[in-house]
Amino acid sequence: MNISEKNINSYTILSLQGILNASSAPQLKTYIAGLPDAQSIVVDLENVEFLDSSGLGALVGIARRKKTSNAVIKLARMNERVKKVFEITQAYTLFDIYDDVSAAAEA
Amino acid sequence: MKTLIVIKKQEYEWLLDLFPGVHPLLLPICNKPFIEFFVDFSIFTGSNAIRIVSDGPLRDVERYCENGSRWGVEISYGSMLPADELHSVIDKNRRFCQEERVVIISGFLFIHYDKKSDYASLFASLPSGELFSCGRGSISLTGTPVVETNTTTGASPFSLTALDSVGKYYRLSMDILKNGLTRYVLPGYSSESDCYIGRNVVIPKSAEIKKPVIIGNNVQILSNSVIDKNSVIGSNVIIDRESVISGSIVMDNTYIGEHLEVKDKIAAGNLLIDPESGTTIVMEDPHLLTSMAQSKVAGTLLRRVVHALAATLLIILQFLPWFLLRPILGIQGNWKRDKGQYHTGLPGKAFTMTKTTIGNNGPLCAIAKALSLDRFPLLFRVLSGKLLLIGSQPVLINPATRVIPNSMSGYRPGVFSYAEAEDWPEIGIDTEIVEHYYAVHGNPLKDIAMTQKALFNRTH
Repeated sequence: MNISEKNINSYTILSLQGILNASSAPQLKTYIAGLPDAQSIVVDLENVEFLDSSGLGALVGIARRKKTSNAVIKLARMNERVKKVFEITQAYTLFDIYDDVSAAAEA
Repeated sequence: MKTLIVIKKQEYEWLLDLFPGVHPLLLPICNKPFIEFFVDFSIFTGSNAIRIVSDGPLRDVERYCENGSRWGVEISYGSMLPADELHSVIDKNRRFCQEERVVIISGFLFIHYDKKSDYASLFASLPSGELFSCGRGSISLTGTPVVETNTTTGASPFSLTALDSVGKYYRLSMDILKNGLTRYVLPGYSSESDCYIGRNVVIPKSAEIKKPVIIGNNVQILSNSVIDKNSVIGSNVIIDRESVISGSIVMDNTYIGEHLEVKDKIAAGNLLIDPESGTTIVMEDPHLLTSMAQSKVAGTLLRRVVHALAATLLIILQFLPWFLLRPILGIQGNWKRDKGQYHTGLPGKAFTMTKTTIGNNGPLCAIAKALSLDRFPLLFRVLSGKLLLIGSQPVLINPATRVIPNSMSGYRPGVFSYAEAEDWPEIGIDTEIVEHYYAVHGNPLKDIAMTQKALFNRTH
């Protein structure tokens, strides 16, 4: 999985590309662990081709850690495949979900 | 023009217990799912794209509406958090809301419109801002008017009713039936006014039908029955002989027994609801009133067989260590048992189960834990079909703990849980997320692999 990073306002935007599953979830966790705990992030999911329960678990775990650090994680531009997993699992109740990255980084 | 429909779960929660298994947005009003009234209205305003946003599940709505191609519009779905204000929802859907004017319908409300009115011109010319409000919801517009005309209509071309009680739902249905049948596009064949009849409806000569009436699809009305005026009969309904339905709504998949008189009520499955008082009577006698929903047992048969085979194998492997260690741990006081009532996979049903906890004193406890001997007695429940080998974490019947809704949303208690297998925290929402995932993505073979993972995770 490829992770690219840019900054908008006070947010770090992480654009994920590829598959977010049991084998790539640790990569995302490690990448985010390298950022300051208090850094708020927006995860752009437009190019995530597949998300399974382990990938979802990574996002939920990151959300929990950010919450304890008083930081924020927002998700943006979910494609239909990713949206379906969030709908099935009702994980949308844990995240602020935007259809636009810049709107997520402004709010 | 686009339409953004924003509905919060708390606005329709009152409906969930009343009509379990029916998503409130799919609740039929005069046999037309509620969401279709929104879709029709959106189309009349000239919208070519609709987005439905909610903090509750939309899966059933999505399954029904799909991408909107049936209506020639593009329907998409979005989520929000319960605390989100309308401006936050607009922000979260900025990409959808930019470029074109957007009609924002907020709230669980019914829009009284008239299909013969020209809403497209009206909405194109109205200024942005809130147009109508009914306390529990509103309709507003964003963007600048496309047509610079001064539209001054006398009476308002539409009004709003907040749907917040079963009485309002009943009165709304009756109002449409008596006064508004020509205002909306309603399902069914209508050879004469005030009478809509669906497909595959069997009406014997001795039965009497008085209009206004709406009858759904696959309905059998047996001999000498009377469908009196102001009645709505849903789809897949049987009205047995010599029964009288008057001023009532019979919901989908309902059987009305013989010699019954249902007057000014709502019959839904085995529930009889008085819309004025809100009183609900559960009919225990299936010969009087019952639900005709099909059982899902057959679909889970393969899974149960595979689980039973795997449980048998585990019983064989664990028997000897359990036989040797159980008495010793019992004498040491390291084998603690706790009996409790747990939810089954069926709404309102419970089963008694004794959970075992192994202490932390000494190497024997460590061995017993590593071999998951605490789960050994529960494996027999898999053989009797009470538990799955791997499934949801069994939930105690206790108001203070996680509440299992009527819809159950895939809850199937197991000896081992998916949360253990995935090493997710076994608390509240986290457990539910992983359980929901496997309720959809699970299969018998994957379950065996997940059981192995659960056994492995428990030892580490």
